[in-house]
Amino acid sequence: MALSPQYFINSLLAASTWALIGVSFALIFRVGKFFHFAHGMVFTIGAYSTFMFVDRLDMPLLAAIPAGVVSSMIFGVIIESAVYRPLRQRGSRPLVLLLASLGIYIVLQNAISCLFGDDTKSIRFARVAEGIDILGARITPVQIFTVGASVILMLLVAVLLRKTTFGRAIRAIANDQELATISGVATNGVFFWTFAFGSALAGIAGILVALDVDITPGMGMNALLMGIVAAIIGGMGRILGVAFGALLLGMAQHIGVIWLPTQWQNAIAFIILVVFLLFRPEGFFGRRPGKVAV
Amino acid sequence: MLQVEQLETGYGKKQVLFGLSLEVRQGETVAIIGPNGAGKSTALKAICGLIRPWKGEIRFEGELLNGSSPAKNIRRGITFAPQGNRVFPDLTVMENLEIGGYHLPKKELRSRIEYVVAMFPLLRERPKQAAGKLSGGEQQMVALGRALIPKPKLLMLDEPSLGLSPGIVKDVFERIRTISRETGTSILIVEQKVNEVLAISNRVYSLKLGRVFFTGTPDTLIHDKTRMKELFL
Repeated sequence: MALSPQYFINSLLAASTWALIGVSFALIFRVGKFFHFAHGMVFTIGAYSTFMFVDRLDMPLLAAIPAGVVSSMIFGVIIESAVYRPLRQRGSRPLVLLLASLGIYIVLQNAISCLFGDDTKSIRFARVAEGIDILGARITPVQIFTVGASVILMLLVAVLLRKTTFGRAIRAIANDQELATISGVATNGVFFWTFAFGSALAGIAGILVALDVDITPGMGMNALLMGIVAAIIGGMGRILGVAFGALLLGMAQHIGVIWLPTQWQNAIAFIILVVFLLFRPEGFFGRRPGKVAV
Repeated sequence: MLQVEQLETGYGKKQVLFGLSLEVRQGETVAIIGPNGAGKSTALKAICGLIRPWKGEIRFEGELLNGSSPAKNIRRGITFAPQGNRVFPDLTVMENLEIGGYHLPKKELRSRIEYVVAMFPLLRERPKQAAGKLSGGEQQMVALGRALIPKPKLLMLDEPSLGLSPGIVKDVFERIRTISRETGTSILIVEQKVNEVLAISNRVYSLKLGRVFFTGTPDTLIHDKTRMKELFL
């Protein structure tokens, strides 16, 4: 098999959603210092709520998409306010938050299975398009939209972190939460809005995936794991790093399968993760972590 | 201005302060000294709102502060530079100062930053430098500058000389004296370097096992050799 431009297009496409999940996951990780696994379900909720608005409530897609994003935000914020915040205020360690997060993940996934069934659902609005020809590779309009939206959103996050008071507060809390509190940063408020914003990004990623392929209740786990691997490769703190990590991961997976059977795609991702954890745990662009508590 | 009455508090189940009472008046510099574990830092953390009092009262300008958050206390005029001259290492010098005025409107923040930078011109030289890459003395300036941004009525400092080389320590105390003289801010300062801190203080409290063991003017303490010895035993 030859290395055609199609592989790069496919890599770019996969990378677009992983980067969004990775960046939003890393944002929440930097503030909360724990693995918010339920983020994978926030992603799935974006896809399923949009499906619900379109298919069950007959809303036009253009209205259903923002409604889907808002649904993800609401879930993310509820998880933070009703579960994580009380745990944090009790002084719970990151491990406790991680376990709570896994619990939430399982409950929500089962809830979606009960409500919508385990079979695949679809909100693809157009017939399967043949796509536009770019240097012999095919890319559909939805896919172009996905890549474009991802790039714009990543830039938005970068600007938010660097140029706004909110972004500065996020970075301050990431550095030293106690000092941020002492300095007058309303930490609970920053947590709230970080979850709102991060969850919106995850929801958008879920919807973008749903516009391109079918959805299942379990779609969140793989996407989340790829997002986390991308974030670790890139260095948790760096937006560009995570985008780069996602791209590298996408290429390794899609180009790797030229030589390896497709079922090895995930194995390739996790081999890359292990190699990074062993030899460069701070990622490509990150600084060495002071203490990473899982 | 600040009155602490019979304050009891601690961490988790471990009690650290057992009925601490102290007072800071307008424009005063008050030192808190004492051996490790006496509860000096805990007292400052309780006053700034980082930990809750279990019993007793903290009053600022007559208002009861018990359980009030640091963010609210900053608005009332109390700021705190915690032990170790902590800065946000990945934030730039300027961003560190901006965080200090998190609650201020943009215009006021600008003028406050201007004021603080005029006081510490060194901060002007590298505003975009990550604070973590500065020297210890420079970080001390950033930490102090950050606490000055909200125009505090009461500035609390926890061992500002900790970890600094002897040459710089002198500058630090000189700087604190200048702040007191130029801004009229009341200062409550915890220090291990007793002679240096007594030289800039109006009054001193010495703590032992979570209570006030001695209080008076620095002069009485410096000349009372036996009591000085007793303090650190």
